[in-house]
Amino acid sequence: MTDYGHDLRFGAFITPTSQPANHAVDMAIAAEQAGLDLATFQDHPYQQSFLDTSTLLAFVASRTRRIHLAANVASLPLRPPLELARAAATLDVLSKGRFALGIGAGAFWDGIARMGGRTLTPGQGVDALREAIGLIRDSWANMDEPLTRDGAYYPVMNGQRGPRPAHPIPVWVGAYKPRMLTLTGALADGWLPTIEYVDGGRAGIAAGNARIDDSALRAGRSPRDVRRLMNFMRVGMSPAGRGLLQGTAREWTDQLTELALADGISAFIIGGDDPVLLQRFGQDVAPAVREAIERERLVPRHPTSSVPS
Amino acid sequence: MELGILLEAGRRHPDDLMELALEADRRGVGVAVVRRSARHEDAGEPWSPWTIAAWIAARTERLRVGIVPAAAPGAAFGASTPAFAVTELRSVTTKAEQSLESLAPGRVLSSATAWVVAPPRPDAAGLRALAVRGIPILPVENAADLDRAVALAEQLRDVPSPPAPRSAESLAARVPGIDYDAVPASLAPTAVEPGDDAYASVSSTYLRGGAPGLVLRPQTVAEVVDAVAFAREHTGVALGIRSAGHGISGRSTNRGGLIIDVGGLDAIQIIDRRTRRVRLGPGATWQRVAQTLSPHGWALGSGDYGGVGVGGLATAGGIGLLSRKHGLTIDRLRAVELVLADGTPVRATETENSDLFWAVRGAGANFGIATAFEFEASEVGEVGWAQLSLVTDDLEASLRRFGQIAADAPRDTTVFLVTGRPREADQFVISLYGVVDDPDPDVVVDRLMPFTELGMLVRQHVVMTPYAGVMGNAAEVGPEGQHGFGEPVSRSAFLPSLTGEFARDAAELLRSGLVYFFELRTMGGAIADVSPHETAFSHRSPAFQVAAMSSSDDRLSARWRELGHHFDGLYLSFETDRSPERLDEAFPPPVLDRLRSLKRRYDPTNLFRDNFNIAPAAEDAPSVAADVASGSAA
Repeated sequence: MTDYGHDLRFGAFITPTSQPANHAVDMAIAAEQAGLDLATFQDHPYQQSFLDTSTLLAFVASRTRRIHLAANVASLPLRPPLELARAAATLDVLSKGRFALGIGAGAFWDGIARMGGRTLTPGQGVDALREAIGLIRDSWANMDEPLTRDGAYYPVMNGQRGPRPAHPIPVWVGAYKPRMLTLTGALADGWLPTIEYVDGGRAGIAAGNARIDDSALRAGRSPRDVRRLMNFMRVGMSPAGRGLLQGTAREWTDQLTELALADGISAFIIGGDDPVLLQRFGQDVAPAVREAIERERLVPRHPTSSVPS
Repeated sequence: MELGILLEAGRRHPDDLMELALEADRRGVGVAVVRRSARHEDAGEPWSPWTIAAWIAARTERLRVGIVPAAAPGAAFGASTPAFAVTELRSVTTKAEQSLESLAPGRVLSSATAWVVAPPRPDAAGLRALAVRGIPILPVENAADLDRAVALAEQLRDVPSPPAPRSAESLAARVPGIDYDAVPASLAPTAVEPGDDAYASVSSTYLRGGAPGLVLRPQTVAEVVDAVAFAREHTGVALGIRSAGHGISGRSTNRGGLIIDVGGLDAIQIIDRRTRRVRLGPGATWQRVAQTLSPHGWALGSGDYGGVGVGGLATAGGIGLLSRKHGLTIDRLRAVELVLADGTPVRATETENSDLFWAVRGAGANFGIATAFEFEASEVGEVGWAQLSLVTDDLEASLRRFGQIAADAPRDTTVFLVTGRPREADQFVISLYGVVDDPDPDVVVDRLMPFTELGMLVRQHVVMTPYAGVMGNAAEVGPEGQHGFGEPVSRSAFLPSLTGEFARDAAELLRSGLVYFFELRTMGGAIADVSPHETAFSHRSPAFQVAAMSSSDDRLSARWRELGHHFDGLYLSFETDRSPERLDEAFPPPVLDRLRSLKRRYDPTNLFRDNFNIAPAAEDAPSVAADVASGSAA
């Protein structure tokens, strides 16, 4: 039982479909109007029916005012880290600090190869991601010195840094397997998996958390340095629903409160591409979960395990 | 003429750039191009131009936005920095550009559009001179620069724009071996080359991907003559002729070659009601032909799919759902007009150029580009149109029974069988497509009943409809063109009869899962009434045409060879194999000899060679157009 104490965020996982082209933009605006904190888009450049996620993020950021934005998650093999760093910082400045960097090691290697990207083994993918995160953070800082890194995957000689983002852009990593979880604990500002893909589902979150916590401690960090986010793809609201995020708003509230208190999840991102559902999520569920967590943090009913620090 | 502004990402804060863009948009400057600053002193602020461009596009409603793509890592990175650390792949930037175009339709200047950066402090005359090279773009860094740009834009607003030149990128997309500057003036406005916006919509056909070097789209016979003249000067590259792009064997797209697309010649005219004479352009689709003839109570048999073009079918054969009653499509042909290899337009009928008329009906692609066909339509009223799906656990028995029922049916009944890969445990789904040319529903049901016993009937759709309803199954091709990719693999054969041995071997082949599409087209009836000497299509006696499609050319060919003893000849429209012996199977020796001597007369330099090529001289028969790379095929 862990509550890492992060403030709560509620967001949308929006399909970047190109049919119709305005779908993703409209959904993001609907998410903002619903009072949600976050609009995210998956990144699969080889998926013919999707729009380019980097372009969509910039376009949506320009059309919104308040909501934060992230890829969920950027496919590193097709997104050169220094270009990713510049686009992220530029967008963060233009949007007044509303950008987060969701990033993953890459999935669907066939699709990546079809686009002309480099194919890596899963192990190499983790190493490349570790290098890339270091490079991106370097690019955002220490503007006065040239960037030189003798990397195995991304060697850079006398590189140009910058620009500097408007706020410290958090790096959220999509991770499932042990090596990726270890990397997340050691380096990331957030863990961003999808519950349907977590080994063991709801019951598997604890194991993921434990690995991240251990790795964070070994790297001299606190487990609290890593926010725990979660995507929920199969969701619906109905009086007769059974299972996680299938029932009434009240049941949603109880389930999310439980996930926050028991598993430390502090950001809930839902799929479904349904503006009505986003409205209910933002107006009925989010405030109730926030209230329940606030009460709980004042007067704990759950015996929260103390996190060694 | 139009002017634009150039915004340099790196010189100014992106908020300032956006303000300049919004102001330009408000004051009627229609174009803003963003590029990464190349100045050394900007090195500390390498903003992302693409992000800024997308941001600006989302904030404006009229402004057209362009982006100068980043070069390889240059000034800002040491030479040993690999591109993949810094620069996005071309495939990704192309997709980004297409995505922005989807989000801001009509407002993205693709990198293929030419613009040209104006020198500092230009005047109106200088900009007019510049405009022949592209849209002049004025660097703008502050409000004063913008005021000057707006003033110049107003001065030049009513000056007509010179025709848009080709960008360097568009020119770079041209392929070697084609003299683009020599495209005849009559064809230039409609021609499409790799750098053009319309290119993607003309590259693929229904089943085949391609990347042609140039697509010519003649709209008149005179323009076809011009296109053929151009083709004569380009014998070093492949030449494909396209009517509607449905060909399986017809190579109406290619890589790096020339396409003459006669899709624009698509007129359908009734010439003489008394004799039911109709005149069709090669680019008309059979769906439209059927719709036009339907109100007159007429029809022309035309394969089994409405999206197919007239030209391809009417020069090859046309084994269709009316064939047992009304013959092949070519059997209704009364006259054809074509442009020969030397550019001569000719007309061929039973009495005029009759040898050419014989050759076109079965081997037309070798002799010219047909520009019009005159047919005698059949009187066809309401027909029974059946689409049945059956599940069978004993495919061999079902095929054998189908062979008997379909071949023994009265000639008013033409039924085709389609199946593919097994589902599970040797279960197959059989689809039957059939027409009963009789207006009496009771007759239709009687004719169809025996077919319903070939397996467990799981779907039946039987309607009384004019023939137009049978051809109404095709989706119109939209402005995006067709989306075929790769190369189809299809083999064809004629079956003198569907024997028990063939049913056994075919069932075994299908159980292997190698074939995803397998079709038996029932022949006989009126097809066999015609003498084999009547047309270059001489296979008048088979009971069935069989076609099989697979993703593996080698494996399918090996299996097809093993089945060879069941076969006698093939129908070229379903055959993609380019081995020389396929030509002998399509055309028996006396037919091939006659075709070859006509080829020597009508196309001695072998200009028309894209598919089932009958070389003028037998000894140097090239089986693949690409072999003709040395220039002359003679």
